[in-house]
Amino acid sequence: MKRATPFLLVAPALLVLGLFAVSLVSFIGISFLRQDPGGASFGGPLTLDNYAKAIGSEYARHVALQTFMLAVKVTALAVVLGFPLAYVLARSPSRLVRNTILFGLVATFLSGGVTRAYAWMLILGNKGVVNSILASLGLSTLPLINNEFAVIVSVLNFSMPFFVLTLFGTLQAIPVSLEHAARNLGASRTRVFLEVTWPLALPGLVAASSLVFAIGLAAFLFPELLGGGKVHVSATSIYQKIQTDYDLPSAAALSVLFLALTAVVFTAFTLVQRGFARRAEKRLQAAPENLTQAQPA
Amino acid sequence: MTSQTLGIQQQVQSAAAPVVPPVASRAAGCELQVSGLVKRYAGVIAVDGVDLCIPPGKLLTLLGPSGCGKTTILQSIAGFVVPDEGDVRVDGSSVLPIPPERRETAMLFQHYALFPHMTVTDNVAFGLKMRRWAKRDIDRSVGEVLRMLRIEEYAHRFPGQLSGGQKQRVALARAIVTRPKVLLLDEPLGALDQNLREAMQVELRKLQQGLGITSLIVTHDQKEAIALSDYIAVMNRGRIEQIGSPLDIYDRPRNRFVAHFTGVENIVPATVLASAGNKSDVRVFDTVVHGVPGAPLAAGSAAEIAIRAEALDLAAEGAGVNGTVTFARVLGAYVMYEVLVGSHTLMVSAHRRDGAAFDAGANLKVRFHAEQCALLPAEVP
Repeated sequence: MKRATPFLLVAPALLVLGLFAVSLVSFIGISFLRQDPGGASFGGPLTLDNYAKAIGSEYARHVALQTFMLAVKVTALAVVLGFPLAYVLARSPSRLVRNTILFGLVATFLSGGVTRAYAWMLILGNKGVVNSILASLGLSTLPLINNEFAVIVSVLNFSMPFFVLTLFGTLQAIPVSLEHAARNLGASRTRVFLEVTWPLALPGLVAASSLVFAIGLAAFLFPELLGGGKVHVSATSIYQKIQTDYDLPSAAALSVLFLALTAVVFTAFTLVQRGFARRAEKRLQAAPENLTQAQPA
Repeated sequence: MTSQTLGIQQQVQSAAAPVVPPVASRAAGCELQVSGLVKRYAGVIAVDGVDLCIPPGKLLTLLGPSGCGKTTILQSIAGFVVPDEGDVRVDGSSVLPIPPERRETAMLFQHYALFPHMTVTDNVAFGLKMRRWAKRDIDRSVGEVLRMLRIEEYAHRFPGQLSGGQKQRVALARAIVTRPKVLLLDEPLGALDQNLREAMQVELRKLQQGLGITSLIVTHDQKEAIALSDYIAVMNRGRIEQIGSPLDIYDRPRNRFVAHFTGVENIVPATVLASAGNKSDVRVFDTVVHGVPGAPLAAGSAAEIAIRAEALDLAAEGAGVNGTVTFARVLGAYVMYEVLVGSHTLMVSAHRRDGAAFDAGANLKVRFHAEQCALLPAEVP
C-alpha cells in the first residue's frame, strides 16, 4: 500500500501527459490522411500529399517566414526595451520606481489576452486614443491597427512580463559590488555595462529571449484580432485551414511542420544555454592541483 | 582648512588636555582628508559630521558596529555615495566633483567583488586596461603584482576556483596594481576564517607599509583594528567617538561606548575623590584606587571606570576588595574568573604562570592596577 503511494501521487500528472501525448500522436496520424472532398470526414489511405502541398505552397513558406520574423522582431524589441526595464527593476534604490514597474508588469501578466487585445484596439484603432489625439492636434492620423505593427506591439506587451521578470532574476543575482568594483577600477558606466553587466547577464538574457521567441512563434490571438487579416502567422493559418477550408489533415501537416521548425529553433537556444552552463561550470571546477595541495595561508 | 590634526574631536566635554596625543601628522599634512562629512538617508542621519585626516603612508581604521556610518564614509570617498555636506580631499584637492572611475582611491570590497567571468590575470589587469595602458606594460605590471602577492600560479584560474585567502590576494592585487593614492578596505578580512585572518592581517600590514600606501580600513573587529592600524577612529551613530593610536584606544577609552566596543570587560561605577592632571583618585566599591588615568572630573562627581580583565589581580589574602569566585574558565595560558564583588560580577583574567588557581566559591582579594584602568565620565544610560 505504502509503495503504491508515490505512483498514486504522480498519476494525475501522468494522465495529463498521457492525454497530451495521445493528442500529439493523433494529429500526427491525421496529417497522413486525406480530407474527404466536400465532406466532413477524412480517411486513408496513408499519404504524404498534405506535406507535399504545404512545403510546395508559396503561402505556407510566406507564413513560416512571417511567423519567424515576427518572433525575431518581438524578441529584438524585448531585448532593447526590456533590458533597461529589468535593470532598473533590479537596481533602482527607489522602492516607488521598482513597485511601479512591478505593478505594470504584473497587471499585464494577470489581465487576460482577449482583454488586452481589445485594449490595444481602443488605443491603436483608427478612432482610438492615439489617433484621436493626433486628430485633435490637427495632425493626420496613422495606420496603427490591422497591420504587423499592431501585432508586434501587442505581442511585445504580452511577452514583456515574461522577459523582464526572467532577466530580473539574473540581474539581481549580479552583485552591485561588481559594478562598483569596475567603476572603482576606472571603467565608465558604458564600460561597466559592456565588460561586467552584459557578459554576466547573457545567460539570463538568452533564457528570457527564448521565452519571448516562443511566445512570438505561437502568437494567435493578437495576429487574429489586431492583424486585420493581413498578418498571417502559423497559428492563424492552421486555424484558417480548419475553420475556412475545413481541411483537418492539411492543418495537421502544417502543425507538424511548424512544430519541427520550432523544435529546430529551440534546440539552437538550448545549445547556446548549455554552452553558458558549461563555461560557468568550468570556471568553478577545482583546478587539479587544488585537490592535493594544502592552501598556503 | 582649519584642522591639520589627525582628527577633530566633536562635542566632547573634556576641556582639558586632549586624551588623544598629538600625532605626527601636523607637518606631514593629509593624503586623505574628510571634513564635516554628513550623509542622510531619507531623513535618517548616517554620517553626522565626521572629520578625518590620514597622513601619507599611514593606515587608519574606522572601527564601529554595523550601521554606524563607517561604510558610508568609505563609499563617499570612493564616489558611490554623494555626501550631503562636507568635503573629501585626496592630496589636497576635493574629489567630490570627480566621478568614481576617475578617483585615485582603489577599493577592496567586502566580498572581494572579483569578476567571476574573468581569470585572475584579467581581473588584475582590468584597471590598467581601463586606463588604456599598452598591452606590454599591462603584462609586466600584472606579472609583478602577482609575484608580489605570490599568486602567479593561479594566474589563469577563475575566481570560483580559488580559496578565500587566494581571492583576498587577487582582490588586493587588483586594487594596488593601478598605484592608487589611497587604498580603501571594506571589512577586508571579514570573510576569512580565524587562522587565515590573523596571517592575512600581518601580510596586509606588511604590504601596506612596504608600499607606503595611505589606507583606510573599515571593520567592526577591534582586534583587527588594533593589529593593523596606525590610527583608529571608533565610530558610533555616525560620529567619531574617539580617535587615536591603537594603544590610546585600547588603554584610554574615553567613554563607555569606546570601552565597551573595544572589549573592556568591566565597567563599574566610581566616585571621583580628586583629579590632578590626567590622573584621578577614585572610590570603587569600598576601596580607593589612586592615579586612574583619564580626563579629569570634578571631585565628588559620579563616574565609571573601565577595567580590562587583565588590569585586576587576584590574591588569597592581603590588600584589595573582597570577592568570591563564581566561575572559572581556562583559556590556555589564562584563566578567566568571574568574581562577585558587592553586587557586581567582575571578569578577571589571570596568567596561570602568576600563581595560585582558584576554584568557584573561593573568597579572595581583588586588586586594581590603576594605570591600566580608565576613568570615564558617568553617562545617562
